[in-house]
Amino acid sequence: MLHKNAAGEPVGLITNIQRYTIHDGPGIRTEIFFKGCTMHCLWCSNPETISPKRELGIYPSKCMTEGKCSWCVRACPRGKELIKFDAEGLVSFIEKDGGCADCMKCADECPNHAIKSWGEEKTLKELMRVIKSDESFYRRTGGGVTLNGGEVLLQWEFARELLKACKEAGINTCVETALCVPSEHMEAVYEFTDLVITDIKHMDPETHKKLTGRSNELILENIRRTAELGKKLVIRTPVIHGYNNDEENIRKTGEFLRNELGGNIVAYQLLPYRRMGTEKYESLRTPYPFEDYKAPEREVWEKDLLKLADILRTEFDLPAVAGSSGKLDVEL
Amino acid sequence: MENITKLTSDENVARNRDTYINAHLIDTAPQAIEPWDKEWGVAISGNTPNPSPFERINKILSITKKSTNGFVAPDRAELVTESYKAHSGEPQILKCAYGIANTLDNTPIYIFPHELVVGCLGCDKKGAPVHPEFGLNWVVDEMRDGLMDYSEERTHDYFSYTKDTQDRLEALRDFWNGNTVEDMTNAMLTDNELKGSHAGKGIFFADAYIFCGAGHLGLDYDRLFKLGFGGISKLIEEEIAKIDSFDPEGIQKRTFLKAASITAAAATRHIMRYSVLAKEMAEQETDEKRKSELTKMSADLKHISTEPPKTFWQAIQLVNLANCMIHIECNGHSVSYGRFDMYMYPFFKRDLETGEATREFMQELIENFFIKIWDLNKLRNHILIKTFGNGGIGGPALTVGGIDEHGFDSTNELTFMVLDAHVHTRLPCPWLAVRMHSGTPWELKVKVANVIRMGTGEPKIFNDDVAIPSMLTSHIELKDARNYQVVGCVEPDVSGKSYGWKDCGHMNIARVLELAINDGRCFNCGEGCPRWEICGKVGSQLGLKTGSLENMTSFDEVLEAYDKQMEYWCDRQVAVLNAVDIAHQLVRPLPFLSILMDKCIENGKDVTMGGTKYNFTGPQGVGIGTAGDGLSTIKQLVFDEKRITGKELLDAVKANWEGYEALYAYVNSDRVHHYGNDDDYADMLAKFAMDTWCKHIEHRPNAHGGFFQPGAYSVTVNVAHGQNQWASVEGRKAFEPVSDCMGAVHTKCCSHDVCGPSAICKSVTKIDHARATNGTLLNWKFSPNTLVGETGRDNFIALMDEYIQRKGMHSQFTVANQETLIAAQKNPENYRDLLVRVAGYSAYFVELNRALQDDIIGRTSLSFD
Repeated sequence: MLHKNAAGEPVGLITNIQRYTIHDGPGIRTEIFFKGCTMHCLWCSNPETISPKRELGIYPSKCMTEGKCSWCVRACPRGKELIKFDAEGLVSFIEKDGGCADCMKCADECPNHAIKSWGEEKTLKELMRVIKSDESFYRRTGGGVTLNGGEVLLQWEFARELLKACKEAGINTCVETALCVPSEHMEAVYEFTDLVITDIKHMDPETHKKLTGRSNELILENIRRTAELGKKLVIRTPVIHGYNNDEENIRKTGEFLRNELGGNIVAYQLLPYRRMGTEKYESLRTPYPFEDYKAPEREVWEKDLLKLADILRTEFDLPAVAGSSGKLDVEL
Repeated sequence: MENITKLTSDENVARNRDTYINAHLIDTAPQAIEPWDKEWGVAISGNTPNPSPFERINKILSITKKSTNGFVAPDRAELVTESYKAHSGEPQILKCAYGIANTLDNTPIYIFPHELVVGCLGCDKKGAPVHPEFGLNWVVDEMRDGLMDYSEERTHDYFSYTKDTQDRLEALRDFWNGNTVEDMTNAMLTDNELKGSHAGKGIFFADAYIFCGAGHLGLDYDRLFKLGFGGISKLIEEEIAKIDSFDPEGIQKRTFLKAASITAAAATRHIMRYSVLAKEMAEQETDEKRKSELTKMSADLKHISTEPPKTFWQAIQLVNLANCMIHIECNGHSVSYGRFDMYMYPFFKRDLETGEATREFMQELIENFFIKIWDLNKLRNHILIKTFGNGGIGGPALTVGGIDEHGFDSTNELTFMVLDAHVHTRLPCPWLAVRMHSGTPWELKVKVANVIRMGTGEPKIFNDDVAIPSMLTSHIELKDARNYQVVGCVEPDVSGKSYGWKDCGHMNIARVLELAINDGRCFNCGEGCPRWEICGKVGSQLGLKTGSLENMTSFDEVLEAYDKQMEYWCDRQVAVLNAVDIAHQLVRPLPFLSILMDKCIENGKDVTMGGTKYNFTGPQGVGIGTAGDGLSTIKQLVFDEKRITGKELLDAVKANWEGYEALYAYVNSDRVHHYGNDDDYADMLAKFAMDTWCKHIEHRPNAHGGFFQPGAYSVTVNVAHGQNQWASVEGRKAFEPVSDCMGAVHTKCCSHDVCGPSAICKSVTKIDHARATNGTLLNWKFSPNTLVGETGRDNFIALMDEYIQRKGMHSQFTVANQETLIAAQKNPENYRDLLVRVAGYSAYFVELNRALQDDIIGRTSLSFD
């Protein structure tokens, strides 16, 4: 999917740019989050990245009230018709079907980000300017750029151009993807990718589908292909107690990784579930699928994670660790 | 019983939100000589019982109060008064010399249990002597009004006193009335100069040295170690012999040298008193080990009372005594300890070679010496402590690391031992500075990172690669510049060669912007103002009439108005500071300090009058972020985007944003260009705000033979300046603090810096640190989870390396969870040992005043993920 801006230039639809991240790839990195995803994981903490279109998020608690502000109403070409306020005068929702032209002017004007526009169109040049501004930090630490999402490979054409520009500038590149995409898109992007970060959320296709909305066959095939191409990989499993933390599943994962990836796996990280992003679900008026999920106490899941990592290390000789803060040993 | 398993620091951070409370879970046994890469945990701050490997040190720590509360010691005031009366007809400098001599001869002295290093201020631990030369009225008044000891008005940094003390000081009052530095200063100034000062509307403060000595210096330790006090006395006699008394200057010189000679001899006698006391105590002592220590100390003290020190122990003893005597004389802030690892190294090396002392014993001596510094105390009034909380003696800086006079890295074993000594004592003294540069060894970077990660706020790091070139612009010789020490909070200084009047005052440049865009009038001009009758009411205004934003037609007019307004206030600040300077020379020359400074004896001139090699006056610009974002807001909203008119913006600010809630949120949002986000639009305006201040201060002549040096930091006076200031255009409400030091704006609404550490590093280094020859200061605040593990450590080191390469001058760090700080506010009793970085120094968080605590909590907390 290639987005273009009003001037016809190719753009990425980006939800966030974060400078100075240290957990997704080696060293100090700039991380770019692409909008649009192929999956719907139950525990997703970035719901604003799922839809491939720009969206409006509403945060009534941040609203200055209609009486004291109403800048959004003034900005909207349709005035008060579409923007709804509650009894206290706080913005409550936008009537999208009532003729909203998605111009985002209300969000642009809202002084306190009570109306937030999720997804901004960014040109290659704009992104490269941000990326390059921390170049010296990358060089000191073996860091670089990480493209993330959503599913970055949905915007594979733009991502490829961006990664290419990074490589031309001598910047290390890393792609974090679910790999539930056509392999030719993946391979097109790999030409300019130094490190791939991906997940194995479950080994059983049916369960995988229940958890994420998609089966895992394409993903596992793409992981195999990635290794075949000689790409270095970081594999992650978000360990969800009661869903995928059984030893059988982890052993199957271990077996797959040992048999298929050879020396290409740099690290296998077991990540804990964190209840995050619920306010973003609310802002999108979307129910949080994991609303009723009761996460176990820290002691329980922590033990779980350490035990599973231990199994993977001892039985499968995999570089497995709990958490993502360990130093990545990657030759660049 | 809880089954406690020892944890690594990473595990501790991962498992517990409150790292401080769980500090005891960390397994890091102290060792006499620590490995270079030893880790002590992240964000545990000072919360470790028995931090030292030495039993003696832990014993001393257990009887050391983690507080700066003290008591008033009246002896010095009486002894000085007695001498002044006895020598009433003699020149002022001789009165001063007799005063200090009488005090050194007769003030009580103490040798405390277990200690190996002696020297005090003539009173028990935490006592504060009184210096009537700088004003006695405020001391007596605060006692009378119940503002000196604990009260609701003064909940920390309070001083107890007996009825006897109060009576004794009250009895001296008449003698000093009208004869102090304050009286002399005020007699020289008019309302035109004072109206913007501490005595007026507080655009600038210039009163730091009205009530105390200037301090902010180190001694010429090389001279002291080469000559000893006996050699100094001899040198003075030789200089006296050279004087031609038929030359009118000769008489002046001879008078100074006589005063110098009186104090040098008194210093020798003072040290001998300790020698005698140690001998007496040895005779009484039943413990054989202690007895032999005291006997050795007595012999050493006798030796160094006249002779140069021969051993490490003697040298450290002499350093402590010399600095204590300087305090007894002048009460200055930040009487510092120079480049400790450099001047002590020859003794260290020799003692190891000869077998005189072990590494371990010298480590123990350093730790004892550090605690001695914390024992010292200084009297401050109930206003000053609100912003300078938990200051103790104030500014006892000690510098290690950096390049030597030839340009080579000078890191040695003592550099590491000094940092370990802080870890082993966990006190906010001395104020440690580590000099770094592009060639700093990796091992030292790791050591520094590990100490910083502990979270006591120590040490600060200083950058040779910008400090040295900066000093060269002040005409300091290359060799001296390379040998700089850090004094006070952040000021580069040549130890023993410079009388720099560092941190003597500060200008609220954000307030200057207010007057610049409001035709010289305060935003809250009205009947409530104490100056109303002579100012607003009669159609006048406080500042220079530079026009109103309402009528300005281009942004250049704003910049021009700011520039002119700045010049107007700098003129006045310079006048007041020079008056205080002259008053010092007339009222309180410093003959004892002069003998320990380069060239004063040879020049026959007191240090206050320009006797030493370098002479500066260094006030600070405060509110760089606030002024920068103010300019940026005006440029963007009024001129570039024309979103609002100048009048609307002024109306909103004058109304303290009431009725302008949307605009208030907007100016505080990321839609406006803000300093601290690596955004040239705003960063260049912050740079302009600061450069304009520098332009009008730098190189203006001062009253002791040198010139002015601008600084760029607030320490904590950003809180005080904020309390003096109405709302401001960048989204500050009335009386909130202005931005701190080189930091970005954080208002009650939100932080203006939102792009993380690399953006801060880049924004801050766009400002020309080298131009701030009196120093710059940047506070960083990290959440502990960003600094754990090797990743956390190495990324942190990379950030510092980058800051150094980009020519940032100074950095200091608070490492604490917001949750910990907030919990400490609620339950201070559980957080007695929580040290945090205030600015330029560390302090016990629970001993700070609420406004300052809030300001620290409000600083943007940086997280790497």
